[in-house]
Amino acid sequence: MMASLQAAGLDFPHTLKEIHAPADAKTITADFEFTNLSDKAVRVVKYDAACSCMAVKIKGGKLRYGPGESGLVRADFEMGNFSGTVDKVVSLWLDGDPADKPSVTLTVRVHIPVLVMLEPKTLKWELHGGKDAQRIRITMNDVKPIRVTAISSSSPAFHPELKTIEEGKHYELVITPTEVDSPGLGIFRIETDCVVERHRIQQAFGVVRKPTPAEDAAKP
Amino acid sequence: MNVWGQLAVISIIALAAAGGTWWIKGPPARVLACDPATLKPDELCLDQIAAGTDVLWVDARPRSEWEKNGVEGSVLWNLDPAEDAQAFEAEVAVRVAVVSQVIVYCGDENCGVSRQVAGRIRALGMGAGVFVLHGGWRALSEAGRVRNSSPDP
Repeated sequence: MMASLQAAGLDFPHTLKEIHAPADAKTITADFEFTNLSDKAVRVVKYDAACSCMAVKIKGGKLRYGPGESGLVRADFEMGNFSGTVDKVVSLWLDGDPADKPSVTLTVRVHIPVLVMLEPKTLKWELHGGKDAQRIRITMNDVKPIRVTAISSSSPAFHPELKTIEEGKHYELVITPTEVDSPGLGIFRIETDCVVERHRIQQAFGVVRKPTPAEDAAKP
Repeated sequence: MNVWGQLAVISIIALAAAGGTWWIKGPPARVLACDPATLKPDELCLDQIAAGTDVLWVDARPRSEWEKNGVEGSVLWNLDPAEDAQAFEAEVAVRVAVVSQVIVYCGDENCGVSRQVAGRIRALGMGAGVFVLHGGWRALSEAGRVRNSSPDP
């Protein structure tokens, strides 16, 4: 997306930067260029990322831009344990902006590969219903194989069993509830040998509960 | 008339106009407005939440702000990389099993974190409806619904 913005004379050709980061990236950087297209000087009063994971700088620390002058906002994003798509917003307050309404909002959209994908993330059984086994598909999205090394359940009310479909690529976690006459929740921990630490351990859930009104309404 | 006289006349006229506007239209509205007709599909106004609804409040602000003035009984789930995202997930999974609605809030209406957190909670597929509070913490604070607050008059 190439959204542009002109606020109080400052022209940002791009207010959204999409970045596809490698799975093992520790930090990524996004630059937003701007130019003062007005005939008056514009001052950046304040800028903020609203997240400790993002450091924002304005090139050279310069905050006042005369007519025709250009500048650059740089956002350094620490990847931490993120995966999937994450939006991070940088706000700039110019002269006269109210404290709660910055006139410039820049977005860094980071796509971080999900190396170990669980689908679905949660299995549900109806209270006082059947105890049929259900499956969570585990798919490894890396060029190198990623193996499941251990599985465990937080609750004895759920019995997990791992099935290998294709070593290093596809697995199924088969969960059988042993108790469906009282509400319960199980957290299933899936450990892998993934070299990227933030993807190594995953978790999925099993829940025994009364259907919500929306789920009841969706029944045939 | 010298320059100071002209300045004084202009200032008097400007003040009179501002005073007249204040008198006729009242002071500027500083209380957050929420119009259900303009909400995004996953948003709720605070006054749309029926009394007695089982709600799990999820605070998407930094931990220090949640600890200082979050909603009583809320849980924390933010996108700070220093936090343990799997612990957030597990905590919400445990708590969401006994509610019908999950409502996520962040700082104010400019904050986009609550929508991303709501997406992550929705992806758990636990069954409860997951919404974003329009106006975020500011709306809760004005209504006296957060720790250490009282409703705005």
